[in-house]
Amino acid sequence: MQNHDQLTIERLGGFGGFGGPHLKSKGELSLSGLSAEDLRAVDRLFPGDRQVSAPKTDGFRYRITRWSGSELQTIEVSEEEVPPFIQSAVKDSLE
Amino acid sequence: MSCTCFIIPKDVLERLSKDPELSKELRQASKDTARVSSAMRNLRDQASLLTSATRTVGIMELQLAPFPAVKVYDCKHHQTLPGTSVPNSGTSPDLTASRTFKETTAVANFYKQVFGRNSIDGVGMTMLSSIHYGTNYNNAMWNGAQMIYGDGDNQIFIDFTAGNDVIGHELTHGVTQHTLQLAYSGDAGGLNESLSDCFGTMFRQWEANQDVNHADWLIGHDILGPVAKTKGFTCLRNMANPADPHALAPQPTKYAQITPGMDPHYSSGPPNLAFYLSCKSVGGKSWEKVGQIWYRALTGFPPSPNMKMKEFADRTRKLATQMYPAAPAVATAVGQAWKQIGL
Repeated sequence: MQNHDQLTIERLGGFGGFGGPHLKSKGELSLSGLSAEDLRAVDRLFPGDRQVSAPKTDGFRYRITRWSGSELQTIEVSEEEVPPFIQSAVKDSLE
Repeated sequence: MSCTCFIIPKDVLERLSKDPELSKELRQASKDTARVSSAMRNLRDQASLLTSATRTVGIMELQLAPFPAVKVYDCKHHQTLPGTSVPNSGTSPDLTASRTFKETTAVANFYKQVFGRNSIDGVGMTMLSSIHYGTNYNNAMWNGAQMIYGDGDNQIFIDFTAGNDVIGHELTHGVTQHTLQLAYSGDAGGLNESLSDCFGTMFRQWEANQDVNHADWLIGHDILGPVAKTKGFTCLRNMANPADPHALAPQPTKYAQITPGMDPHYSSGPPNLAFYLSCKSVGGKSWEKVGQIWYRALTGFPPSPNMKMKEFADRTRKLATQMYPAAPAVATAVGQAWKQIGL
């Protein structure tokens, strides 16, 4: 269960098709450990009207989840929209 | 293939930037985001829009160059594109640069000699590649205007330019953008990926002068890193057996197994198998007959961004009959292959 201080991140797609049965790319960040500037960047990723941005050919997408009040919010956005500190929080692995 | 969806709609950002209940900082951030998002959208869509516009007004009839120039840029592990130019990249001491130049030139030759196509756009556009993108970056992609290659993490993947099928795959995304203009979701997304795998593997076989029986039909075999190999994986995808347990990304084999929202790298399995089965049944070299049918289906018709796999299957069936009237076995092979995957 994701705790309220956590931002969970999953990187999907790419040429290899991350997010399938074997190729995984995941990470998490502690929101309380972020600077005020980084927190604002996170807030900007979670608008009231959520939309999924269109994927690019072989580009990565990021699925990002956080708590908002009593509910979990999840967005899925293309890599170019994700701040570098979130991109660098994921680690690629084989399962 | 233009992108119209962004995470935060412009009107919402503009509303937020004027919301008196938000702090001054948040209002400014919303304003800045609206400006940057708009610029990014414009940049990203520019290539696709230009593609459509030039086709409409017939500019595509003009040849830019008789053969495309090939340029290689070095991102030096940053993510700023295109990076710095690599002078004399064909003879560069940087093996990634020289390999990228050599294989990109070879793909240009493949398209020219086998299909009579002059570069990605058909009229000689420069083929631009950026290498050493990011840090330990496990990906290669086509961004609408150029190719981008990461070095891999040397665990799961090595340098993505090590696979000539990868280079053929990415360049074919460019060809698709300039022809069928397939979207990147649903049936069209799976077809988009499949076409890149088909032409990527054809290029690999063409370079090795292999017939269909000697080819391994693996995608990504040459870019697997030591950890992936140790665990018994042999490729990313296997066109001959999309469900191969030794593939890092095993795929469905039947059209009916494709589910809504499935990543195009997985939904490409059934059309990949149809191409393989067609080639195996016809025999010889993949690019000699079946490849010609697939190329005509890709390039000989108006754009069809939301094309269904069945439409593509029917098109190749019809083309097989039209292009090889004296060899009915070709049309039979293509028809049977699509039937086997449920189309």
